[in-house]
Amino acid sequence: MTRSRLTTMAVAALTATLMAGTASAQSVCGRMGGDLIFALEARVPGLDQHASNSSATRNVAMNVFETLITRDEQMNPVLELAESLDVAPDGMTYTFRLRQGVLFHNGKVMTSADVAASFDRYRRLGVDRSILEPVDRWETPDANTFVLRMKEARPTFVEQLSAFTVPVVIIPAENAGAAAQQLPVVGTGPFQLEEFRADSHVKLRRYAGYKPDTRHQGITGFGGNKQACVDTVTFRMMTEPAARTAALEVGEIQGVEDVPVTSQRRLAGNNQIRLTRLETFTMNVTYPNWSAPPTDNPKVRQAILAAMDFEEIMEAASEGQYKLNMGFQFPGMNYYSEAGKQFLNQKNPAKARQLLQEAGYKGEKVVLMTNREFPYMYNTSLVMAEQLKAAGINAELLVLDWPAALQKSINDTQGWNFFYTGWITVIALGGPQTMRQMAPPNAVYKPATPDAEFVTHFQALSSGRTLDERKAAFARAQERALDQVMAIPFGAMPKVQAVRANVENFKSYYIPRMSGVWIRG
Amino acid sequence: MARYALKRLVQMIPLLLAVSLIAFALIKLVPGDPAVVMGGSNATPAEIEAIRRNLGLDRPLHVQLFSFYAALFQGDLGRSLLLGQPVTEALLERAPVTLWIAFYSLVLTIVLGMATGIVAALRHNTIVDQLVSVFALLGVSIPNFWLGLMMIVLFSVHLGWLPTSGYADPLADPVGFLRTATMPAVALAMLQTGLLTRIVRSTMLDVLGQDYIRTARAKGLPEARVVLRHALANVMIPVITMIGLILSVLLSGSIIVETIFSVPGIGSLLGNAILRRDYPMIQGGLLFVAATLMLLNLVVDLLYAAFDPRVRVDR
Repeated sequence: MTRSRLTTMAVAALTATLMAGTASAQSVCGRMGGDLIFALEARVPGLDQHASNSSATRNVAMNVFETLITRDEQMNPVLELAESLDVAPDGMTYTFRLRQGVLFHNGKVMTSADVAASFDRYRRLGVDRSILEPVDRWETPDANTFVLRMKEARPTFVEQLSAFTVPVVIIPAENAGAAAQQLPVVGTGPFQLEEFRADSHVKLRRYAGYKPDTRHQGITGFGGNKQACVDTVTFRMMTEPAARTAALEVGEIQGVEDVPVTSQRRLAGNNQIRLTRLETFTMNVTYPNWSAPPTDNPKVRQAILAAMDFEEIMEAASEGQYKLNMGFQFPGMNYYSEAGKQFLNQKNPAKARQLLQEAGYKGEKVVLMTNREFPYMYNTSLVMAEQLKAAGINAELLVLDWPAALQKSINDTQGWNFFYTGWITVIALGGPQTMRQMAPPNAVYKPATPDAEFVTHFQALSSGRTLDERKAAFARAQERALDQVMAIPFGAMPKVQAVRANVENFKSYYIPRMSGVWIRG
Repeated sequence: MARYALKRLVQMIPLLLAVSLIAFALIKLVPGDPAVVMGGSNATPAEIEAIRRNLGLDRPLHVQLFSFYAALFQGDLGRSLLLGQPVTEALLERAPVTLWIAFYSLVLTIVLGMATGIVAALRHNTIVDQLVSVFALLGVSIPNFWLGLMMIVLFSVHLGWLPTSGYADPLADPVGFLRTATMPAVALAMLQTGLLTRIVRSTMLDVLGQDYIRTARAKGLPEARVVLRHALANVMIPVITMIGLILSVLLSGSIIVETIFSVPGIGSLLGNAILRRDYPMIQGGLLFVAATLMLLNLVVDLLYAAFDPRVRVDR
């Protein structure tokens, strides 16, 4: 069979190949050694990267585990443990050639048998195993080749497989039988597990047998040329923001995952500390419940959308650190589009009243289901409630704790009208992944019957042969989603992190990447 | 006394079973389960169902309850759904941390509370008494999380005397323990100290007005002997009663303090388990805390006999 490389993969692989040789001879580390202590804002529940989509798990585990294909700095797919990927012209076969001589932390050489066993385990208990839904079977024709045979062509399959929400990390075949949350922490990454003390810390040690991907000059996204410069990294779980910041100020720790807004100004004036930002990190989102009155009525939903002033809402949610965002992707991303922006941030209570009248609204309660664990969600709901009341809508808060609110939003179609959340990885993973949230069968807004027009656009988005086709479909789907009010993207909030000034080469990303980071002497 | 202690221990068994049953029922009644927490807001119902299956949460409730009791009678509290670690192991790892800090805090409470209470009573209606009253009032008024944060700012950030967080084993590193545990222990102790100061002061005032104290003074005994030998023994009765209560408050209050100071103890373990709906950990943790409190209260009851011969625990 004649094979052709997928355009995106070809670009990534070619770029990597061009860089080969020069990169291999260079160390990215300005200095080796030391223990870097980095404070996490959440407790790490475990390190089974197949069975948990907790960001706290990912923060640590993705320094230990690697995948065949992941995402680069711009969120494009990039090969990691795979040397190459050939996609058959009919899109029914994906052939991965593995990088040679990659060692697991137990000293064993990685082969296609390990890759197959990892996929087996993922299909058995992987949280996001729907990734493998279009895959019929996998084969290992030789020790260095892994082949996926598809049930049906899926143009977005590479985007899905490279997603980092719950990635298909490669583990030794002998560990593939492990039950969920009991996976031995043995990967191929630059760091290996030394100690995991739940609720306290996780200590990683540089793996001497690590084989860097010398096709790249440095780290890119989750992949690239990773090199552990420090001897050990200790991730300390420090959930109290003020204590975390204080520990950084006194030099007990070298970095923090998150700096609260109230501390940012103080830290910015400290020349011993360097703040780093990922400008567009969390999208502050609410979505309505289409199955519960009165938000089952499109005119009521449109009235609610018309009534809102996003700037006021984002100001309260983010303590002033926000950017309004005219869609479901951030500017600069492949799928970014402003289609439907006329529906956002209308600040038009008069229009809202008019729409309510047309809808026959009689003052029925609109329940805003929120929580206090995430202050930005709570503040969003609080301001939104006031704005709705000002437009004549009988808005009422229902404050639950996060697990309860989350479960109600998933399982119940009654008792709530709006649910508040933040989309981070969903947005980062691109257009199809974002629109999947609003597509049947698991649309977040609980439609009794899916919106036919949106479904048509979503199908075009999933099956478009070229990126341009998919981008056009995304724009149409976004416009429809905003017109019908399937979800409301209020705006983007940054992720602000900080390190001590002697910590070099640390850049904020979706996980704290410890490769290529060194401590100046 | 041994018979009494044994009888109380036997009585604890049905109580603990009741605690475990109530805990099981309550946590199942609360909406939100660990699969939802692990799946997050972007997980599909199918993905959440997959997690539920992985965790064994798709089994009928009575089967889950039966499995819990079957394991419990073999001394197994199950495995944490989120940590993947046996609950007993997780509890035993963290219990010493919480108990050491609680013990340190209790010592601070007793020493400070008794000293200030006695001094206030002896200097009744003087400026000393008023200062102690203000101290006691502050103790009961200041929230421990606020006090904890203020201590971090003062003693860690500005003065650099103490680390902001962490924990050291007192047996392996006593100095490290004092450095890491002092702020959490003080934060925990303040409320109890305020309460104890007030109780000791009022009890001491009451005792000092008793006839036998007047007699002791009339006999010409030195004031220190009157206070420390005759009055203090009677003040200790309500103090011992308080200790049982103080310990339960110290153990429950540790959730906040352990979170602020990043101390890996039972409080933060249980608080986190509740937030994530880690059922086996909640059940096991509550059972453990209940058993600990029952044992401590038994010890307190037995201590009565040592301080008050009128109490006959054998009856």
